[in-house]
Amino acid sequence: MTWITMLWPMVAGACLTMALIHLRIGIRRRPGAAHLLFSLNAVAVAVFSYFELAVMRADSPAQYLALLRWSDFAEVSLIVSLTAFVWVFFGTGRKWLAVLAPSLSCVALSADLLPPAKMTYLQMTSIRKMQTFGGATYTVAEGVPSPWNALFYLGYLLLLVFVVDASVTLWRHGARRRAAVVGGTITFFLLVSGGHSALVETRIIESPYLISFAYLAILMAMGIELSDDVLNAAQLARDLRESENRMILATEAANLGIWVRDLTRKEIWATDNWRALFGFSKSEPLNLDDFLNRLHPDERETVRQALARAIEGDGRYQMEHRLVLPDGQMRWIHSRGRVEFNGEGNPILVRGVSLDITERNKAEQETQLLRQEIAHVGRVSMMGQLASSLAHEINQPLGAILRNAEAAELFMQNGSPDLDEIRAILTDIREDDQRAGKVIDRMRGLLNKHDLDTRPLDVCELVGNVAALVRVDAAVRQVDLNLDVPRDLPFVRGDRVHLQQVLLNLILNGMDALNGARREDRRVSVTARLEGPQSVEITVSDAGHGIPADKITHVFDAFFTTKPNGMGMGLPISRTIIEAHGGRLWAENNNIAGAAFRFTLPIAEREAAAE
Amino acid sequence: MSATEPIVYLVDDDASFLAAISRLLRASGFAVKAFSSASDFLEQRDANAPGCVLADLQMPEMSGLELQSALARTRNPLPILFLTGHGDIPSTVRAMRGGAEDFLEKRASKEKLLGAVNRALARDAREREERVRQGELRARFGALTKRELEVLGHVVLGRLNKQIAADLCIHERTVKLHRTAITTKLRVQSVAELTRLTDEAGIFAASASTFP
Repeated sequence: MTWITMLWPMVAGACLTMALIHLRIGIRRRPGAAHLLFSLNAVAVAVFSYFELAVMRADSPAQYLALLRWSDFAEVSLIVSLTAFVWVFFGTGRKWLAVLAPSLSCVALSADLLPPAKMTYLQMTSIRKMQTFGGATYTVAEGVPSPWNALFYLGYLLLLVFVVDASVTLWRHGARRRAAVVGGTITFFLLVSGGHSALVETRIIESPYLISFAYLAILMAMGIELSDDVLNAAQLARDLRESENRMILATEAANLGIWVRDLTRKEIWATDNWRALFGFSKSEPLNLDDFLNRLHPDERETVRQALARAIEGDGRYQMEHRLVLPDGQMRWIHSRGRVEFNGEGNPILVRGVSLDITERNKAEQETQLLRQEIAHVGRVSMMGQLASSLAHEINQPLGAILRNAEAAELFMQNGSPDLDEIRAILTDIREDDQRAGKVIDRMRGLLNKHDLDTRPLDVCELVGNVAALVRVDAAVRQVDLNLDVPRDLPFVRGDRVHLQQVLLNLILNGMDALNGARREDRRVSVTARLEGPQSVEITVSDAGHGIPADKITHVFDAFFTTKPNGMGMGLPISRTIIEAHGGRLWAENNNIAGAAFRFTLPIAEREAAAE
Repeated sequence: MSATEPIVYLVDDDASFLAAISRLLRASGFAVKAFSSASDFLEQRDANAPGCVLADLQMPEMSGLELQSALARTRNPLPILFLTGHGDIPSTVRAMRGGAEDFLEKRASKEKLLGAVNRALARDAREREERVRQGELRARFGALTKRELEVLGHVVLGRLNKQIAADLCIHERTVKLHRTAITTKLRVQSVAELTRLTDEAGIFAASASTFP
């Protein structure tokens, strides 16, 4: 057992291992031709390395020659498979070189077809045993070199040219790493093995053949390529998982469901989210009818048509529809998607996303409702109720008066009117008139000083509370509400609820005055300032149409109104409230545009404010 | 059909308005009965008399809308007109949905008021006539025996005597006898008239599925 008899089988083993790996890859992967060719190549080298070893241990010239002949077959198959491998693996190189180089080798090999082999030596004269380091021995042959051998080496040379040319082209195409590592090592292998063999056969040096040994370089290069592939695949798998995770996270966060409909197999693939949305379990198989059956019966046909249109037409759809889940629950879904076509323009699949918009629709409806409610804030306020019940109470006696007067007229048309009846009518009319008067007196009485719950109030807070109440109403009507109330104003004395009603009434009046005004003029301002040592003045002013000069004295009269649906009660009640507080309420037109309503309130005494 | 004069029933808790409007309607030639509450009216009215109701919407105890639904449950649902001092939209909507003839403000013009009362009385007369006719029809159908009703159900579906005989497992001659009895009792000349009458009386409307 010498290092030679150990090393060559190891080389063969390495070749076979690599051949096995690439065989497996070549069979499983499409296209796998390069792997299969490399596998073939490595097997050829393994076989060759066996004969190399055998040649080194040959005992007679005849045996040497016979073994050499078999090794020539292995060598030529090595060359053929190597050429084919480079051609396929690089995808570059000149075709004529790729055909010519192995052809020349094959022609040279034909000399070996009948024994005695004539490719390398025409005649074998003698063999000698040589000894090298480590006590290993090997056989060296002497003989007449064959002219066929020159042909073989020409083929070898052409292969070298082919590989270098193919590698350079590959390098230029940008696959530099592959060109350098694989192309470089194949070139190295051809140079070393070819050069060395030529030297051995011309007996310039005496040494065993080292062809299979040189092949280790290629094995190494392919090993590096393979490990790169594995690392890349692992990285890709990681990236893919990561991107899938990201997608799932995004779709879950947006509550999006994704579904893909395979038009040829008529199946639906969907994310878990989509299945949950449509009330399907995670694993049950789905088709289009399952999907359509989940839809609201009224919309099935519409959705089916929209999907069909997308497939036949522009390849897109977008729609909103309802779902009825098995438990009867209803959902609103927004769906959009895209059809994918194959090379011939035939639809193959439909990708779609579905979004649950039930909550959004509900929220929109609620906002709408809230807005409507707030828009009615004026009407449902206490003052509105008061005015409404007042109108009812006054309309009773007024209606009675009207009907009595009409009845009296009819009686009078009679030739001999019943005077007693008419007298009774007149009495009733007088009584009803007094009743109406009493209603008005009672309203005034409602708001006299004793009924006010007066406390020290922060003007800033008072104005802020009312502003918060009308803020949304103002936004809907596109009115800017500006507040300018200094924080350091002293407290005023008043009834919070009543004063809020007054402010609310004045602000809503101001906004009403802006109906039809331009956007930049749509502004209501509330300001407050100290007015003398005893009172605070609060002003609500708008930039609307103002009050006509002949009407400015009447705006505080009961039942005076300029609004189509107004009752003419807001301002008189407001004035009554302010006067009951010991203040004044008056109106004036602004210099530039609009009207201003000002009222004063007495300052609370210092001790009271400190409570 | 009752030939008595229609009565305008007034219901309002406001005595003064009640007196005033009674005077006006009386002076305009209507027969009037006034009540100060809805329950008084429901207790004291003539259960079958024609007429209409003019009621205040806002009343203590029983409101106008409650009166409307109570009236609708009786056998003589008079048309109702509402009066209000100051109407709000929700109760107007409810009143009109409940079939109110009209909705008037207390200070509505005389012409509007009298026009509405006349319309309500005309509607009552129309509905009354319809109810009488329905009652009479039902009485006529009531005279049919159970078997005759069964045969009638087949006849109005357009089936031949032979088919009816087979369906009911009786002789064709018996079917003919039943048909003669039916046309005599219902006083009709043709199958077309028979079908129309059956339809009008709504005899098979509820139990149509009994017959194939």
